[in-house]
Amino acid sequence: MKKKQANVIFRSDWGRKKPILLSGLVIMLTAVMTFSAAASASLTLQQKKVTGMVTDATSGEALPGVTIVIRGTTTGVASNPDGSYSIDVPSNSTVLQFTSVGYASQEVTVGSRTVINVAMQSDVTMIEELVVVGYGFKKKRDLTGSISSISAASLENAPVKDVLSALQGRASGVVVTSNSGAPGDGITVRVRGYSSLNSGNDPLYVIDGVPVESTSLTSLNGYDQHGLNPLADINPGDIESIEVLKDAASTAIYGSRAANGVVLITTRRGKEGKATVTLNYFSGISEITRHLGVLNAQQWRQVIIDTYKNLDRYNNATTPSEPHWTAIDSLNPMNNGDVDWQSVMYRKAWQHQVELGVQGGNESAKYAFSTSYLDQDGIFLASNYKRITSRLNTDFKVSDRITIGQNISFTNGKNNRINAGGTGNLSLVQSILVRPPIYSLTYPDGSPINYFNGKRNPVAMAEECTHLNVTNRVIGNQYLEYDIMKGLMFRTSLSIDYITMKEDEFYPTTVDYRAGYNWGAVRAITNMTWANENYLTYNTRLGESHEISAMAGFSMQDWKLETTGLDGLYFVSDNIRTLNGAGTISNQAVNRTDEHSMMSFFGRVTYNYKGKYLAEANLRADGSSRFGAENRFGYFPSASAAWRFSDESFADGLGFLTDGKLRLSIGQGGNESIPNYVSGGEFSIGTNYLTYSGAAPTVMPNQALKWEVTTQYNLGIDLSMFNNRVSFIGDFYIKNTSDLLFAVPIPETTGFGYLTQNIGDISNKGMEFSVITHNIDNEFQWTTSLNIGFNKNMVVDLPDDVLTNGYIQNGTYHILQEGKPIGTFYGWKFLGVYSRDEDNVNDVRFGSSAGKPFIGGDPIWDDLNNDNVINDEDKQIIGDAQPIFAGGLNNDFSYKNFSLNVFLQFCYGNDIYSNLNSMRNWVFAYNNVSTDALNRWREQGDVTDYPAPVRNDPKRNEYLRVSDRWVEDGSYMRLKNVTLSYTIPSALTTRAGISRLRAYVTGQNLLTFTHYTGYDPEVNSYSGLQVGVDDGAYPQSRTIIFGLNMEF
Amino acid sequence: MKLKYLKTAIAVIVMLQVTACTDILDKDPVSSFSASGFYKTTADAQSGVYGIYDAAQSVFSYNFCYWGEGRADNVQTAQTGESLTLLSNNMTATASSADWSALYRMISRANYAIRYIPDVYEEDNATGKQLIGQARALRALAYFYVARVWGDAPFITEPYTSGDQDIFISKSGKEVILDQVEEDLKYAAANCVDKFNSNNDRIMFTKGSANALLTQVYMWRHKYSEAVASSALVMSNSLYSLVAIADWGKIFSASYSKESIFEVGYNDTETNGLRILYAIGSYAIYTPSVKWKESIEEGDLREDFVYDMVPADPKAIWKYLGRGESDEVATPAKQNIVLTRLADIMLLRAEALNKIGGEANKTEALSLLNTIRVRAGLVPFDTEADAIAMYGDLESAILHERSVELCFEGHRWFDLVRTGRAISTMGPINGLSSEANLEWPVHQNSLNKNPNLAQNPFYN
Repeated sequence: MKKKQANVIFRSDWGRKKPILLSGLVIMLTAVMTFSAAASASLTLQQKKVTGMVTDATSGEALPGVTIVIRGTTTGVASNPDGSYSIDVPSNSTVLQFTSVGYASQEVTVGSRTVINVAMQSDVTMIEELVVVGYGFKKKRDLTGSISSISAASLENAPVKDVLSALQGRASGVVVTSNSGAPGDGITVRVRGYSSLNSGNDPLYVIDGVPVESTSLTSLNGYDQHGLNPLADINPGDIESIEVLKDAASTAIYGSRAANGVVLITTRRGKEGKATVTLNYFSGISEITRHLGVLNAQQWRQVIIDTYKNLDRYNNATTPSEPHWTAIDSLNPMNNGDVDWQSVMYRKAWQHQVELGVQGGNESAKYAFSTSYLDQDGIFLASNYKRITSRLNTDFKVSDRITIGQNISFTNGKNNRINAGGTGNLSLVQSILVRPPIYSLTYPDGSPINYFNGKRNPVAMAEECTHLNVTNRVIGNQYLEYDIMKGLMFRTSLSIDYITMKEDEFYPTTVDYRAGYNWGAVRAITNMTWANENYLTYNTRLGESHEISAMAGFSMQDWKLETTGLDGLYFVSDNIRTLNGAGTISNQAVNRTDEHSMMSFFGRVTYNYKGKYLAEANLRADGSSRFGAENRFGYFPSASAAWRFSDESFADGLGFLTDGKLRLSIGQGGNESIPNYVSGGEFSIGTNYLTYSGAAPTVMPNQALKWEVTTQYNLGIDLSMFNNRVSFIGDFYIKNTSDLLFAVPIPETTGFGYLTQNIGDISNKGMEFSVITHNIDNEFQWTTSLNIGFNKNMVVDLPDDVLTNGYIQNGTYHILQEGKPIGTFYGWKFLGVYSRDEDNVNDVRFGSSAGKPFIGGDPIWDDLNNDNVINDEDKQIIGDAQPIFAGGLNNDFSYKNFSLNVFLQFCYGNDIYSNLNSMRNWVFAYNNVSTDALNRWREQGDVTDYPAPVRNDPKRNEYLRVSDRWVEDGSYMRLKNVTLSYTIPSALTTRAGISRLRAYVTGQNLLTFTHYTGYDPEVNSYSGLQVGVDDGAYPQSRTIIFGLNMEF
Repeated sequence: MKLKYLKTAIAVIVMLQVTACTDILDKDPVSSFSASGFYKTTADAQSGVYGIYDAAQSVFSYNFCYWGEGRADNVQTAQTGESLTLLSNNMTATASSADWSALYRMISRANYAIRYIPDVYEEDNATGKQLIGQARALRALAYFYVARVWGDAPFITEPYTSGDQDIFISKSGKEVILDQVEEDLKYAAANCVDKFNSNNDRIMFTKGSANALLTQVYMWRHKYSEAVASSALVMSNSLYSLVAIADWGKIFSASYSKESIFEVGYNDTETNGLRILYAIGSYAIYTPSVKWKESIEEGDLREDFVYDMVPADPKAIWKYLGRGESDEVATPAKQNIVLTRLADIMLLRAEALNKIGGEANKTEALSLLNTIRVRAGLVPFDTEADAIAMYGDLESAILHERSVELCFEGHRWFDLVRTGRAISTMGPINGLSSEANLEWPVHQNSLNKNPNLAQNPFYN
């Protein structure tokens, strides 16, 4: 179309356009020509009136409020409520632009016509026109920062049970990992990598303007390292949109908590119009994705005999040691079982959710109400999660100038957990994999075997132990908006986030080896957060082209966490599990209150020149009670600018380009994730001497503590091409964190183990892309969206005095070292297995030069320093837990009333340390081992990569040796979601009073492509910095869901 | 008009909030105290001192034995690990008993108390001074072990209250440390209470227990006349008297005996390592050495309290958990750990008198030794010659008596070292040959965390 114009108007005013021509770029030629077209149009004077109707192309209904502008000018009108319009145009060559939110713009050359009727096509890419930003909204067009948006529409396709899962694979640069497959369990979200050395790497979550508690509050006994997901309290069905603010320009307005990104969640609000009632239901069934290979009874017995034989070889024993004969006696009734424990413990599990919503309103009052009930069984025996949510969002226009409103939500969650996390005998996932297959479930007389030979009965562990977590949570927010004068608005809000959690734990006598020994614990946790936010916004236009807005505000927030708990022993009976039944109340009593508060001032100025040049600046000052008086306030500035080059004249010739924008931002965010009282130090009570209450200094003061600061640079480009058929967003960023808050190990001679200090630097560099293409756009529609984020994380600087041998040990498996990423695994390197004793030509020894030599069947460890001794000095870097890239690929197909969504999610380049594999290949006592042991070394000359199992493992071949034998590639691509849905034609349903009826079937986690040998590559047994360890987390499941959505 | 009011109202609300909340950022701990603001009341001063005892509980739980017995000839072990490392004299910088963290935690708590308690009381207030006395005695106890186990070591007498303080402290000479130990104990002996009139007499520092510890320190430093003076104060103290032999076992199994001078208190919930060290089935870390069993004189009534004499190879030491204690029960031990008692001080006094020499002194030394021997059902030495006939010299006789009377109480190694007998005694057993080897290594973790800290010479 534009080409045609170029032909017509070759007679333009050369002189006036000279400066642009002088730039001499061939590519600009076409642009110039196009620009000239508009210019020439204004030169001719053939004024006339054009009238017409604007309608919606799909419904045929009249469209009011459509902007009709003469191209190249600012002259324009809006269509009337009946869709009609009338405009004076200067000439026949005038081009009219028709634009309206939610519709694709159209351009029409007037020609000789006086009546022009236009049917506007709704534009799928325009649906998210408005984007929620910190303290306000912004047109997506006018964004200068980097924000990923997820709309309710994409949530409908994939029924998820919590908000964070909805983010997975849908926002570039956001890596979401379920810590385990247990219902309601914790989820790790990382926006643009790890920027902190303490555990404060979680983004800030803000729901309808309320910053909410997102750290796990569960406090039972600590075996469960990965916690619960506090955002499971939010019903995903209530969500209108989720925005992830990624760059500093977008996040800096949240100041001290902004370094790790901000997730803004907006819930549905009532709209003007007749009440609509929605009823959604789904029901699904889940099962474990795979079983891991373990030995059967006969194979196991042979391994046990081998372990003794191999120990005798180690000790050069003259008389062979005798295995525990009853254990290998297949005729002994106690030991003649052959049980596949995974089949016993994993089950097909049902889940159901029903959700009812009513929304509507009129000019002065709007409401949205919803309630939902979820009942989800876990795939592991006896685990279950139930959740009731209820929400009411209201808005009232009290007067022309004043609007007030309220959001209030209530959640009751009841999580019957099993002890899946951690290691050892109490951890079920691990213990059933190493449980000898020979053990029966029952004695010959049919009574259950509970505790036997050092092993607890896993069925009893699951069914008879209590791990109950009950959460009640209210999130409420009241606001008042006041239009003081044109352009000037004031908003104040008061919000609370109140959580009470009660946890009960009980281990009955049946699972313990001590007669009459049972134990229980109870914890009650209350978390109360209130926040008050007040801000003024001002918008104005200077002349026709300059749009300026400003915002300034003030907020306060206060947290109070109270934990109360007691542990008890020797309960009168296993049936009375409340602590009044305990014979002994142990001194594990907990009763603690923690407080924290913040006070902040913030402001923003934006400037917009014709949507072409955009600029924004933010500043937030945050004061936190966690820092010493001198360093209490942190100041977090940001600035950003964007240039819509597609509005420049040279772009007119780029016919394929609908919209193009370059963005640049720089800014700072902070991190205050340290315990509440470290700067002032702490004197703890409970350091008692017998019955005398003692107190002792436990946290060394450091009044000089200050914020950790992350400076982020972002360069982004937004492109929309071929009439919005293809849109592309690309971002490059550099994130540098300095003054890292870290609990540095200090000499014990101070009396303290750690001193929290500001040390070191971390950097994250990366790029993110997202592409949406409307491949086919007619009756059959096909849309593809791909997002992918690359991130490179690196610890840049650590002060020498905190390093040991050049690094900081970070938990058991990781180190922190300059030049290496967080999540670097460190251990011994496995090179193979000595085939014969004499293959150890260098006489390499274990531990020291006087240690035992390695012999045939022993692992060959990499002797890094070639001293022929395998010890700590031979440890080296053996893996990296952080992915090179992660993302998602979504395909939506629709044809008539059918639609199909296929969602692939992927993660590449990360290693997993499978401690689970380590534990299940270590022949400890009579543990079972993996089927890999069938390839074990058995006799001199065997060539294999599986060492000989040795009783008691005297050379620590497996036990406690962190080695790359257990490091595996954790890359995966997963068919995360496939949903096929059919909307029954409304003609059929309206008679039943149903305006919309949609039925769907969804498959989740249907296929996973991975080399990982554990249950699932999506695993993270520890929160915090110990990334990518599989300790035997509750496995992920494959789920099929059937659902109905109804609207009345 | 209406608009104007509203504007004013909003402005006022905002102003009020801003002014009202300047304090909102001052959050002091609710369930604990800020480190600098703890010592405010007399009750705080008291709990601060109990907090030091709490640290002492963890210091001595296992280590009284690893330090005091682990490298000496009275014990043997069937276990690998720390016990074998110590006995075979194969210690490296990763030995668990080479870790001094718990001792310095105790010292840190004491430094806080000593620094801040004076702020709570009027000057010269007796209660304040006795609390400081206890804190100083506890600091002395900790540094006494530091100096005996590691020799030269970091010496810190001020609390750490700010990140600006130097935390990378290098070593001071052991004599400097021991001078301060004497100083602290003298203060305690002058300012602690005479008695509490309760069981606390045995588990908290009094004048008597400060003098007893001072006697140990003097003996370590070979200051014999001072030891004679301080032990005299202990012996004349009415709190302490020897128990009858029938109750000898109860000194340890029941605790709080009238013979006890200072013991670290434990109970059902604050337990210690005695069970694992001495009496848990076939897993007990230590059993009596053959050499020690053979050294016991015929008819010694104490032997039966110490271990099961029936099997050839006893599996446990009964002394603390009690005679005949079932060693299959895994309940952690709650018995107090006796660090000094009257018999210890009497024998130290005997040693000191013997060193000073002279007729009267020797006579008193012999009589002190005989008092202990007679109680044990042994024949007294009528003259020094009897002792010489049996043990070579009087000092050896006294040391032998200490080795039996105070067996497994954590004295043996230090007795060997301070009398210069460690190498001659242990050399034949485990090849100990170097004076420098008498000290423990500094733990690797400590070296890693402090660049100004040097490893002890023998372990370089």
